[in-house]
Amino acid sequence: MAATDDWIIEASGLINQFGSNRVHDGLDFKLARGRVCALVGGSGSGKTVLLHTLIMLREANAGSLKLFGVEIRRADEAVRQSLRERIGVLFQGGALFTSLTVLENVLLPIKEHGQFDPHWLKDLGMSKILLAGLPADSANKLPMELSGGMVKRAALARALALDPELLVLDEPTSGLDPIGAAAFDDLIRTLSDSLGLTVLQATHDLDSIWRGVDEVAFLGRKRMLAVGTAAELAERDEPELQAYFRGTRSQAFWQAAQQAPLPIHSLSHQSEPQLRNA
Amino acid sequence: MAPEIRWEQEAGADNPAGQILVLIGAWTVHNLPHVPTVTFPPNISKTKQLTLNSEMTAFDSAAALVLARWLRHWRAAGLTVDVSSLPERERNLLALLDARLVDELPAKTRAFSPVARLGEAAVSQWTEARHFLAFLGELVWRGAPLLLFFWRIRWRAVLAEIEAAGVRALGIVGLLSFMIGMVMAYQGGATLASYGANVLIVNLVGIITLRELGPLLAAIIVAGRTGSSYTAQLGTMRITEEIDALRALGLPPFELLVFPKVIALVIALPLLSLFADLMGLLGGSVVANYGFGVSFAVYFDRMPQVVDLTTLWLGLIKAPVFAVVIALIGCMQGLRVRGSAAEVGHATTVSVVQAIFMVIVIDAVFSVLYNLMGY
Repeated sequence: MAATDDWIIEASGLINQFGSNRVHDGLDFKLARGRVCALVGGSGSGKTVLLHTLIMLREANAGSLKLFGVEIRRADEAVRQSLRERIGVLFQGGALFTSLTVLENVLLPIKEHGQFDPHWLKDLGMSKILLAGLPADSANKLPMELSGGMVKRAALARALALDPELLVLDEPTSGLDPIGAAAFDDLIRTLSDSLGLTVLQATHDLDSIWRGVDEVAFLGRKRMLAVGTAAELAERDEPELQAYFRGTRSQAFWQAAQQAPLPIHSLSHQSEPQLRNA
Repeated sequence: MAPEIRWEQEAGADNPAGQILVLIGAWTVHNLPHVPTVTFPPNISKTKQLTLNSEMTAFDSAAALVLARWLRHWRAAGLTVDVSSLPERERNLLALLDARLVDELPAKTRAFSPVARLGEAAVSQWTEARHFLAFLGELVWRGAPLLLFFWRIRWRAVLAEIEAAGVRALGIVGLLSFMIGMVMAYQGGATLASYGANVLIVNLVGIITLRELGPLLAAIIVAGRTGSSYTAQLGTMRITEEIDALRALGLPPFELLVFPKVIALVIALPLLSLFADLMGLLGGSVVANYGFGVSFAVYFDRMPQVVDLTTLWLGLIKAPVFAVVIALIGCMQGLRVRGSAAEVGHATTVSVVQAIFMVIVIDAVFSVLYNLMGY
């Protein structure tokens, strides 16, 4: 496994509570640099709450959370701000600024960080738009003129604007057709490999879970129930995991996995993932 | 460490054609403002071959973009560039960005000349007027049957709207009318007193308040307070697709959202106008009593003699017309919102400006009509 200082996310004993409703009760989770990880779990298991905690939109009620090796629960606002710049976020609905064009959306975070030559700035924005797989002529379109898939790509381009080390995606393929979703998975994989991104994505997409990612983190019983590949999680005894990974919709994937290990795209820079108890 | 470059001569000093460019430091987006647009070898005329070497501590996609641009410039200048000694990850990133360079940034769609903008503004005013007429037509077309089958009107919604637009506006309408009444008595009283005609303050305040200021003030406050909230509410509901959801559920938005608002304002605004009349007269009486020696007893005794009931009606009858116009403009602007959050703000501004404009125009039309009819 990777060296200690190469953990992008290290959470231990996280507690998140709304009133008397405890969403996470002692959650432990670690994510190593360069990994693409899917965060799964039933509806209401606290995926979005966990993501919001990780991107510092919400403070955990208790526990320890280290991002890039920095303990954020003791960090002051300046440190948190500098950490936020290293994280790119794609919100579920895209959350593009509706009155700005795609290019202006992408440039907004860049403009706030230093004086760029205006020509460079546009060049930089265009390169992100093309990296996210959008055609060049979409740059001057408003979000309302884009299709659902293009909104996701535009939001991805904005998330990539500051060359983040960690990319956090909330249901990136929901609402996309299967072809678009597969293309988006490939795109994330390509970007992760070439830009050295670490990716954490909350998802319900079985294709992504079984084929698109290095590891799957399963939220259940108010903690991280298990981490491993989908095929490994399917072999576990916990009823939640069996229901999720051997249920009717996962059957085909599971059977295929038993006959031949599923091709996980690139693990060249990592040893085989080991099953870890959270 | 800031991004830096170092030029080196290719091994073998007898080979001036070969130059090496060593990239040093952290080449990241945060450091990019210090990087030049393009850089060339010191003795460009002799150089044929350029080799890139890396001593970089960081290299991200923004830096790769810069380097990809440099490569273009070098190749255009006839240099052969060798990137094979860069580490694999950096080489791949460079290739990724190089494949995605745009030659020309897509142009902004349109920029109109002042004359064209004038024309555009005229056309848009014309469209606004047509939309308002169409909306008024829709109100009559769909509203008239509802008036016949009045039990189908959503009275619960109407009551809620009356509370929001009427009851909760009592404070502000009352206070402002009271103060305007005072101001009128002061300004008129000063002139009248110099002729010893103090008692005519009653005529002045009575006629102006009842015929004009009471209903007008109430209408303008309601346009700013309630018309804007109608636009904002319906506009946001459009953006969140709530209006579409209502349509899809077979619930006509017009019957559910627009009609109760119109009915509510038609009931609430005349009542508010009456309240404004009352507070205006009260405000005038206070100044008349303490400033010009016209006692409360004389003031209220004289009032019915100098202004008859017709004066009151001539003012109040305008209120329902104002109400329909304010509610319709508020709802129409809201329902026409498309796309973005900024549009809701824009529509709200347009709605308030249009409503107040229309209220004053209609008031002027009433004045002309009353004049022709001999009132």
